Amino acid sequence: MTTTTPTTPMPVDKRPRLQHEMRTTGRRRGRAIPTAILLLGAFYTLLPVAWVIIAASKSRSELFSTFTFAPGTGLWENLQNLFAYGDGQYGQWALNSLFYAGLGSVLSTLISTMAGFALAKYEFPGRQAIFYAILGGVLLPGITLAIPQYLLMSKMGMAGSYWSVLLPTLISPFSIYLARVYAMSSVPTEMMEAARIDGASEARMFVSLVLPMMVPGMVTVFMLQFVGTWNNFLLPYVMLSNERMYPLTVGLYTLLSKGSGEPALYSLAITGAALSIIPLVLLMLFLQRFWRLDLISGGLKG
Amino acid sequence: MSTETPQTDAASMLVTGTAPPQNRRRRRRLAPYVFLAPSMLLFVAFLAVPIVYAVYLSLRGFRLTGGGAFGQRREVFVGFANYVSTFTDPEFFAGFTRLAVYGAIAIPLTLGLALLFALLLDLPRAKATRFSRTAIFIPYAVPGVVASLLWGFLYLPSTSPFSYITEQLGWGTIGFLDGTMLFSSVANIAIWSGVGFNMIIIYTSLRGIPSDVYEAARLDGATEWQIARKIKIPLVAPALVLTGIFSLIGTLQLYGEPTTLRPMTSEISQTWVPLMKIYRDAFVRDDLPLAAASSVVLAVGTLLVSLLVLRLVQKRAFGDDS
Amino acid sequence: MRNTKALFPAAVIAAGTLLLSSCSSDGDGDGSADGPITLEYWAWGTSQQPLVDAWNANNPDVQVTRTDAGGGTDSSAKLLTATRAGNAPDLALIEFNTLPAMIVGDVAADITEHTQDAGDAFTESVWGLTSFNGATYGVPQDVGPMALVYNQARFTELGIEVPTTWAEFADAAVAVRAADPDTYLTTFAPGEFGGFAGYAQQAGAEWWSVDGDTWTVGIDSEESLEVADYWQDLIDQDAVLAEPLLTPEWNSKLNDGQILSWPAALWAPGVIYGVAESQAGDWAIAPLPQWEEGNSDVAFQGGSAIAVTTSSEHQEAAAEFALWMNTSDEAAAIQIEAGQYPASIAGQELTLESDPPLLMPQQTDYWEVAAEIAANTIPDISWGPNVNVASSAFQDAVASAITNGTPLRDALVETQQIVVDDMTTTGFDVAEN
Repeated sequence: MTTTTPTTPMPVDKRPRLQHEMRTTGRRRGRAIPTAILLLGAFYTLLPVAWVIIAASKSRSELFSTFTFAPGTGLWENLQNLFAYGDGQYGQWALNSLFYAGLGSVLSTLISTMAGFALAKYEFPGRQAIFYAILGGVLLPGITLAIPQYLLMSKMGMAGSYWSVLLPTLISPFSIYLARVYAMSSVPTEMMEAARIDGASEARMFVSLVLPMMVPGMVTVFMLQFVGTWNNFLLPYVMLSNERMYPLTVGLYTLLSKGSGEPALYSLAITGAALSIIPLVLLMLFLQRFWRLDLISGGLKG
Repeated sequence: MSTETPQTDAASMLVTGTAPPQNRRRRRRLAPYVFLAPSMLLFVAFLAVPIVYAVYLSLRGFRLTGGGAFGQRREVFVGFANYVSTFTDPEFFAGFTRLAVYGAIAIPLTLGLALLFALLLDLPRAKATRFSRTAIFIPYAVPGVVASLLWGFLYLPSTSPFSYITEQLGWGTIGFLDGTMLFSSVANIAIWSGVGFNMIIIYTSLRGIPSDVYEAARLDGATEWQIARKIKIPLVAPALVLTGIFSLIGTLQLYGEPTTLRPMTSEISQTWVPLMKIYRDAFVRDDLPLAAASSVVLAVGTLLVSLLVLRLVQKRAFGDDS
Repeated sequence: MRNTKALFPAAVIAAGTLLLSSCSSDGDGDGSADGPITLEYWAWGTSQQPLVDAWNANNPDVQVTRTDAGGGTDSSAKLLTATRAGNAPDLALIEFNTLPAMIVGDVAADITEHTQDAGDAFTESVWGLTSFNGATYGVPQDVGPMALVYNQARFTELGIEVPTTWAEFADAAVAVRAADPDTYLTTFAPGEFGGFAGYAQQAGAEWWSVDGDTWTVGIDSEESLEVADYWQDLIDQDAVLAEPLLTPEWNSKLNDGQILSWPAALWAPGVIYGVAESQAGDWAIAPLPQWEEGNSDVAFQGGSAIAVTTSSEHQEAAAEFALWMNTSDEAAAIQIEAGQYPASIAGQELTLESDPPLLMPQQTDYWEVAAEIAANTIPDISWGPNVNVASSAFQDAVASAITNGTPLRDALVETQQIVVDDMTTTGFDVAEN
């Protein structure tokens, strides 16, 4: 098995082999090609990531003067500059991102779970109307709402505050939709009935019975919401004017678009970008095993 | 079900002796509203009211009041003037044409590659699947602004490693951001960011298929290709439909990638796609009402297109309630 | 990292207090008249924080908080929206060419009565940038008299003389291409609205002018069209690089010594140093080439003023702060150190005692050259109420002219049309020309 794989480097003889494999059940030779395609895909996705990490190691002058994939000598200096910039603004932006995405996603997940559960498991007047309103919300381009949201926030005296970014992200029609799908498939009606027979109130039943059953779905909703908020740019960009409240996306953008007479701070932005990817990748790697993305398509079977 | 309720209520009374049935039934009737209250409150405050406000704003305009060379621009009612200028602006519709070209590249390739990778990951014989799966998924964690910045550097001739190679070979540099190549280059960023996520959705659907479904086919001597085509793809079709719809909505909302690339090339105008024009009107030209009118047109358009697609693929996509 | 950790709980607490006090939008209104007042100030740039710190140290009764709300374009867009929403700061840094838009947008307040004697601190041409129809709407902070910044080392290497007229500049552009096919004398960037306007103003064009209540727009005036033709000719010969500025691509070429000059303004050395530190010592400054030999007029590119907003409840105190920022010696010294060219006469005199910019330490007469250029700036440059519209229309029209190979002069005609249409729709009286 292992001896055949290395001896197939010539592209010329790949073709007949592939055809051969299709006709018969060529189990041995079928290993190299799928693996090669997957590795090619991994190469494609990792290339820019590798680039940003290498670029982060370049000093300001090396960035534009040395070969793209040649490592530089300025990593430590870049990191120092990055954290020194504007009195430690970068660290502040990272914490803000964590605050918006973390707190926002936890609350949003709870709110969406409650709503999704209600839509999935209760019969009540207005259910269809609410469901269609939420579907409409899924399809609406969020970006078009940023400006009216800003003007309304201002009327409430909240524009420019942490709330102005946090509150609008709490409502996510897509999360409600997902929670509904998950509740439909994972919370058996019979168990709810049994709990009611035992005299549990609706609230108690939700907390002690339904929530535990919905945890895998909630993890998924949380992750999607977290990544979405973490990557959100336009809403905080429109809402905030104080740079100390910026999340990372807006902060990095400002490094790239300075006013007249100030050069864009490319090396800072690149180092900042490289660093900002790391926590999210780690979080995803950690949560990857818990989440149930099949629930996105799971609704289709219902 | 409804015939059973009195029984269970009676039973519960017998067992626990708690609240009388009418009381419990009322609480049960109220429960869904209580569960929905926070989300409905937020929905109204941050979606419904802004939509209404956007529609209102779209009928307003900033006009000079008081006269004079430095008179003040104030907000007044202008009727449908903003809609007229939205619909008579050739650039707005040219933006949709560009979107169509971009979408024609980005959507099939994203879904096609995602399906391909998912099927390969599902092959029992493929190696290094954990690594590949994780690697292909990683771009999902990279914000759009950052992704565009990375690719921008990889596109520009003097910083691009691809152009470096072609130049060494004597073929000159590659004009990633010139002419028609631009569409593929912008689409590539979206594909790069989107393939992994879609792949995971399809892959998890594949894993959900009981393996005995195709063990039998394997015993019958079916090739993996035949199994994929005849069994796996039809079974994950619903996942494909859904990822397709999301890609379509994502296409209509294209904004971040071309905006980040714009300073790097003369090919991308400020009105390259509809959302960029909306942004320009609102923030560069300071014409919020016009931007609101164009937003309303875009939102209605998105809804219509999505509903059309949903109708085409029927109720399977968003499920029935029963 | 140390202080950021402490700030995170602070953020949560801040969010909490905001919930409690969500109804009071601005903190400074509710204090009693005796207590210290706090002014909010929006400004970008590295000089601002040290300036504000210096003020705060000497003025315990009027404390200023500075916020970086983005560079010129971003910040002015936010300012308009914030004013409408009632969230505007007390003061803001505004680029000269967007000041008229801020006046008609009801952002910038008329501060004539608070700045009675300040005009003497500035030359007439600088003071004119913030005064309209006899009223003052801002105090100039820094100016950008236009100058030619060039790679002296490469000029010498390729045997290029420093051009004094645009005709010589064109010859030099061709000569550079002949001497080194990888190298260009300069860039013609579609995004450089301010630069192009400066070349046209130097040629005598008036892009906006007011007569009584009537505006005249001259973006497609004969002078402007001739400037367009001049660059068109160079682009057609491939004698200049027709690409955006300050992209990674451009920066890389600059570092490789493949872009030899930038006809911009006195802030340009700082920008070039920011992307090509290694080229320090190679570059120098010279007066901008002239359209006519023997002339010495130049326009401004960039530069900004501090405006007091109409929403400020402390306009007098705010005006006082603006005056200190832009006329005191202490402030001017901080500005110069940060690489700005002060707008005030005293500040400009102070530069003569300073070291040359980091990009050109070898040019010991840098500030003398700068002072001479600044003394020759054109008076009476006026900008219109919709420069934002003009700038965005110009960028798109010129970019598409370059990519499609259509004439640059058509791009100016198109820009003119869009600008006039926009002004007419808004209700301005615009003269036919």
